[in-house]
Amino acid sequence: MTDERSTPGTGGILVVGGGISGLTTAVEAAEVGNDVFLVERNPYMGGRVAQLNQYFPKLCPPTCGLEINFKRVKNNRKIRMYTMTEVQSISGAPGSYQVTLVSKPRYVNNNCTGCNACVDACPEQRDNAFNFDMDKTKAIYKAHDMAFPMKYVIDMPACTKCGKCKDACKYDAVDLDMESKTFTLDVASIVWATGWNPYDATKMDNLKFGQSNAIITNMMMERLAAPNGPTGGKILRPGDNKEPGSFAFVQCAGSRDENHLEYCSYICCMATMKQITYIRERYPTAKIYVFYIDLRTPGKYEKFREKLMADANTVFIKGKVANITPEADGGVTVVAENAMTGEKIQQKVDLAILATGMAPALKLQGASLGVQLDSNGFVMSDTAKGIIAAGCAKKAADVVTCGQNSTAAALKAIQATRR
Amino acid sequence: MTMNVNPDLSFIKFLKSAGGDTLKKCYQCATCSVVCPLSSDKKPFPRKEMVWAQWGLKDKLIGDPDILLCHQCGDCTAYCPRGAKPGDVLGAIRAYIYTYYGFPQGLAKLASNGKNLPLLIGIPAAVILIMWLISGGMHLPTEEVFTKYGFSQFFGHWDFRWLSKNVFFIDIIFLPAAALALFSAYKGASAMWQKMNEGLNSDSNFRPSCNQFVLDYLWPAIKETVLHKRFNECGVNIDRVKGHLPLLLAFIGLFIVTTYGFIRKDLLGVFIPALHGVIPQYDPFKLLANVSAIALIIGIGILWANRANMEEKKGIVPTFYDWFLIGEIMAVGVTGLGAELLRLADFMTVAYVVYYAHLVSVLMLFLYMPYTKFAHLVYRTVAMAFEKYRESGFVNKGA
Repeated sequence: MTDERSTPGTGGILVVGGGISGLTTAVEAAEVGNDVFLVERNPYMGGRVAQLNQYFPKLCPPTCGLEINFKRVKNNRKIRMYTMTEVQSISGAPGSYQVTLVSKPRYVNNNCTGCNACVDACPEQRDNAFNFDMDKTKAIYKAHDMAFPMKYVIDMPACTKCGKCKDACKYDAVDLDMESKTFTLDVASIVWATGWNPYDATKMDNLKFGQSNAIITNMMMERLAAPNGPTGGKILRPGDNKEPGSFAFVQCAGSRDENHLEYCSYICCMATMKQITYIRERYPTAKIYVFYIDLRTPGKYEKFREKLMADANTVFIKGKVANITPEADGGVTVVAENAMTGEKIQQKVDLAILATGMAPALKLQGASLGVQLDSNGFVMSDTAKGIIAAGCAKKAADVVTCGQNSTAAALKAIQATRR
Repeated sequence: MTMNVNPDLSFIKFLKSAGGDTLKKCYQCATCSVVCPLSSDKKPFPRKEMVWAQWGLKDKLIGDPDILLCHQCGDCTAYCPRGAKPGDVLGAIRAYIYTYYGFPQGLAKLASNGKNLPLLIGIPAAVILIMWLISGGMHLPTEEVFTKYGFSQFFGHWDFRWLSKNVFFIDIIFLPAAALALFSAYKGASAMWQKMNEGLNSDSNFRPSCNQFVLDYLWPAIKETVLHKRFNECGVNIDRVKGHLPLLLAFIGLFIVTTYGFIRKDLLGVFIPALHGVIPQYDPFKLLANVSAIALIIGIGILWANRANMEEKKGIVPTFYDWFLIGEIMAVGVTGLGAELLRLADFMTVAYVVYYAHLVSVLMLFLYMPYTKFAHLVYRTVAMAFEKYRESGFVNKGA
């Protein structure tokens, strides 16, 4: 096992972000003998993929891709993994960077067995960010059913330090006095795999997100459809739990728009296609309307699109939704111009899904850390200096592409350690 | 369906030069048609106009009433995801339409290009000056005469009781100019109506009578315009109403005063020669004239500031089309009120020069009305009337 100092001569690799891309880079680099430090901001690994119901186009659950990577991380002595940890500053020069990191306290130590006794005892609640605030957890909680590492965590702003969880824990795993830790790593290469956040839908004032429960984002849809989500996998309208009879997908909600994200987020068309299958499984005759500018389902995804467009109850309308009006019955009316017929459409639906795009997560913090970002906030690699971007920190991409470019990032990082 | 696209390159180039330089950025998402507060459900705009303009389909655009129904609120431009500025593109198409339908074409083309500005000012300035010279007025009056008659002996004086010399000269300059403008506007508007009608499925055997046209289409359109009903629907650029409304009312006020002046001086003056002189300040029409002049300056001032602000903050490209009209109206207002104030203050020489400038600017306004942005007064009203006709029973909307 490595020390927290670098191994002289080889130099370690720091991978920032423990989503599918960071995990991939870490295992690929470690399995050929490199020392890897893998840091993740959340209390759990897996990132955005962990929040999905299914991958497209094979429609398998995300655990099938994550589990194997978790196993590889667990079994590999070359990888040191830190959760709830962020990069604070970077100094040094190519070949030897000193990276200062801060780990926030989890308030639960390694004795935790995941027995859930603490949760039963806890009297306080918090909004569940993992489910986009559509339900609540206790102040001490497990991030989600398949969380890795399988350790509980306390959301301190919601906690009153009443001590009931500590009393309920048979393993002495709760430590309410845990403090944050700052430490420094010496590495030869840094891989940014910081991923993405769903673009803030409230910024599109004409789409009225937040003004009606019938307007959700595509990531909220993933949680609604997920068996470990707030509704146990039933697609119900938030607020009144109505079974929707009609759905509207609002494509390019913020993407390809110089007022918001000026690039195409790449995944939203396929995500919508995939979510149509979620709806069809549960509501075989529900009406589905997809409003789009262009349908971008490249390569083999075309087959998937063709199959879904054959559905008689799914209507595709060429024209972007530019106005949504909340209705008295809890539904919404979406308004678009059908560019094929040249007429305006006002379509009343029970649930509107905004296909929001990918905003690079490092955007705000990256500049202060001295990371080179492009005009949209994506990380620009500088392989000569051993600074490498992977996954959605590099560009908006699907999981397949992230797997590919994270493996490439691992190779570039290894090259940087050998100079 | 196949479609033969014959792009008119010179047309696209004109649009690019007249403020539509962003046209090619449009990718047809149709956000504009939805956020537009004025576009209808059946015939939304400006998405279709954007693609026609990109393809250079001039023929479709010059017969499209929707281009004139646009009030350039700017909501489309604000929400456009590509910075294609549909509002400005439609403005550029309107500029093209006024030139296209303008008669005589030479004058229309002259008035549509900023390079011709020296000529555009020079021609009316020369006309007035030559008239002043041949009228024999060509000298400053004595202080006494100026105090008594003001500018009413600008073109001299004779003792012919039926018509004063001054009014005679004003008439021979301005009546032909007004007649040409009206004829050109009529010719252009009716050509446009025909072109717009070609796009409809209407039966030429059934046409509205003149009465129906005026009562059912034209008059409601004028009423809507005066009340600024559509302008008030605007989102982003709603502030323009604050300038445009006083300006429009000022023009109506000044039209009433001019009509009164004509009746008083040219008709009643024949029998009561005293009426040929200056209208006294206590006359209610004089009051209306003064209020209108102030409203005119304030209104155009607000529009001026608004446009300058838009250009600075939103990167709207300044165009000759927009600024020529603003400048013209500002000149009319400032020289008109200025001449009056200088007259009252007895600064004779300066007053005479400013009055001359006033005549020149008013002649410019008359002469170039059908070809410059001022033409919206005619063409937009006609398009609004056409919109009502389009919805009427005379047009077979088909299955």
